[in-house]
Amino acid sequence: MSDAELFLSGTDGSPMYQQIIDQITSRVMAGDWSAGDPLPSIRELASANQVSVITVKRAYLELERAGIIITRQGKGSFVAQSQDLPKLLMRADFERHFEALIGCAERLGMSAAELIEELQQRVRDAAPPPQEPPSGTRS
Amino acid sequence: MKLPELNLPVIKLLIVKDWQLFQKQLALFVLGALVALCLLGMARGWSFYLGSLMLIIVMVSIACFAIANSLIVERKEQTLAFVMSLPVSPLDFYAAKLAGNLVTFLVPFVLVVLGTLTVIVFTALPNGLVIYSLLVFGHIWLAYCVSLSVAMAVESEGWNTFAMIASMVMINPFIMILAQIPAISEATSVDAIVWSVPAVLILSAQLLLGVAALAVSGWFHCRKTAFY
Amino acid sequence: MSTAFRVTGLCKRYPDFALQDINLALEEGQIMGLVGVNGAGKSTLLRLLTGLTAADGGQVEVLGQQMPGGQVAAKRDMGFASEDMRLYKSRSLRWHMDLVRAIYPAWDENYAAQLMRRFDLRADQILKGYSHGQRVKALLLLCLARRPRLLLLDEPTTGLDPVARVEVLEALADVLRDEARSVLFSSHNTHDIEQIADTIAFLHQGRLLGCSDRESFVDSWRRIVCRGAWRGDQAGLPQVVAARQTGSLLELKVRDYQDTLLATLKQQGLDIHSVDPMALEDIFITTVRAGAIHETA
Repeated sequence: MSDAELFLSGTDGSPMYQQIIDQITSRVMAGDWSAGDPLPSIRELASANQVSVITVKRAYLELERAGIIITRQGKGSFVAQSQDLPKLLMRADFERHFEALIGCAERLGMSAAELIEELQQRVRDAAPPPQEPPSGTRS
Repeated sequence: MKLPELNLPVIKLLIVKDWQLFQKQLALFVLGALVALCLLGMARGWSFYLGSLMLIIVMVSIACFAIANSLIVERKEQTLAFVMSLPVSPLDFYAAKLAGNLVTFLVPFVLVVLGTLTVIVFTALPNGLVIYSLLVFGHIWLAYCVSLSVAMAVESEGWNTFAMIASMVMINPFIMILAQIPAISEATSVDAIVWSVPAVLILSAQLLLGVAALAVSGWFHCRKTAFY
Repeated sequence: MSTAFRVTGLCKRYPDFALQDINLALEEGQIMGLVGVNGAGKSTLLRLLTGLTAADGGQVEVLGQQMPGGQVAAKRDMGFASEDMRLYKSRSLRWHMDLVRAIYPAWDENYAAQLMRRFDLRADQILKGYSHGQRVKALLLLCLARRPRLLLLDEPTTGLDPVARVEVLEALADVLRDEARSVLFSSHNTHDIEQIADTIAFLHQGRLLGCSDRESFVDSWRRIVCRGAWRGDQAGLPQVVAARQTGSLLELKVRDYQDTLLATLKQQGLDIHSVDPMALEDIFITTVRAGAIHETA
């Protein structure tokens, strides 16, 4: 059942459950599974990827918490019906990065004001100059 | 003592396994026995001695190889662990080893005994040899039982080899003692089968002691709940 | 949910070694990894579970049977393969399969054929020529093809080349599909355990140092690098298992981690530089080197 296979790496920096979350998330965003589609069962996924059941359980739990999937008792897990799913996912990604940013800033000893100023500066630098015609694509 | 439950189907399979593992060597020994019997049958002085020597060697070898293969080699090759992972209790295992060993030994043993008796009766050899040869075979039976009991009980390859060699080598003094008993030595060269009291006593003692040795080791195994 | 096995107050004494007061249970449908250095007692524990050895004290219950008395019934549903197990060298794999098939009615010939293909084993080859890896795979095949409810494996991946190791792990992962089947495997290869085990039991010098689900176990450890001086007499911090100082940098390995610990460390004048999770291998080595610390989980 190749549908349940993910590309997990033992030597990747991030923990297994995080990799599972990330890959399922990207596949949902890419449309491999549409809203309402069933996900592979926890045991199926664990078995197909040679990871333990509790790792998959944890990933599914986090995915449910993030609103990406819904688990129905006795029926399995399904992709959430939300129309805004891509936005939801990107928002979740944003939150994660943002929290990491704040953590780093704290460790650097930056004050809130310094952080805000740095942020504003960078947003200004990153914004395209207003005269340029919208050619090419920016992701 | 109530008879503990035995796992008969698995025991049967283990016996068949031991038999299959021993078949090739057995065939060679039986061939050797046939040659020995032919030599005996020729009833010349030299062929008689050669034949009887070969016969004893073949019988002793069968006894030792049967024991060695099913117990000593299994321990050394560590295949015992595999057998013990199957649904057998220590008692099943003991019963299978005992039965398997007896089968692999008794089948050729009985054939050789019958063959020898036939050769003696139907050739020019004096029929009195029947008693003599039965006594010699009786010793081999006793030595086999003792060696088997020791092998079941003791894991050391050294002690097992010692038991086998010692008990088989005792055949020499045994034969000498037989020659000292007039009732037996006289009956040997006669062309009739004459059972004397000493002969009957010795033969019965050999049979019973052999069985007793096996029973004693069986008693110890009955009380084992685990293999190690 | 029933238990695949349960061990209470287990003791076993040998002249040079003793297993003491082991309390351990495996729930059905889980994979447990038994971690420990060589000589910690893993093989002894496995033998007690298979009923091959009788305990000196305590109770062993496997698949609902008391061991060693019920070993015949338990072994019907159990597969056991250990590193020191050997098969009959003069015979072929097919001969062994026929033997096992005659004994176990649940033998699945199709599954066996599938495993033979995956493991790249030939049925009619005499086992004498088998390499270590092929032998391990053959033993595993003979266990797996009869679909036992409980698999007890003593060091199944030890000494295997990386390819064979993956094949074995894949075959073990297949067992996961059935939630009524459980596996206990011992290993000192923490990567295998980290990857596939649901629960970890940590054995050291005959004692069980801990048994918990793998995620929370690994999650409870942290490696903290900070700047400052470590004063060894800080008895108020029992969670610190190991401390290494090099110049002004201090590395602490901590169990039962809580975020409040960082505040405590800061109070002691330490400047936190980074806080990272630890790999199971690191946790294992740290615990062993720190000596036997009693921990119940």
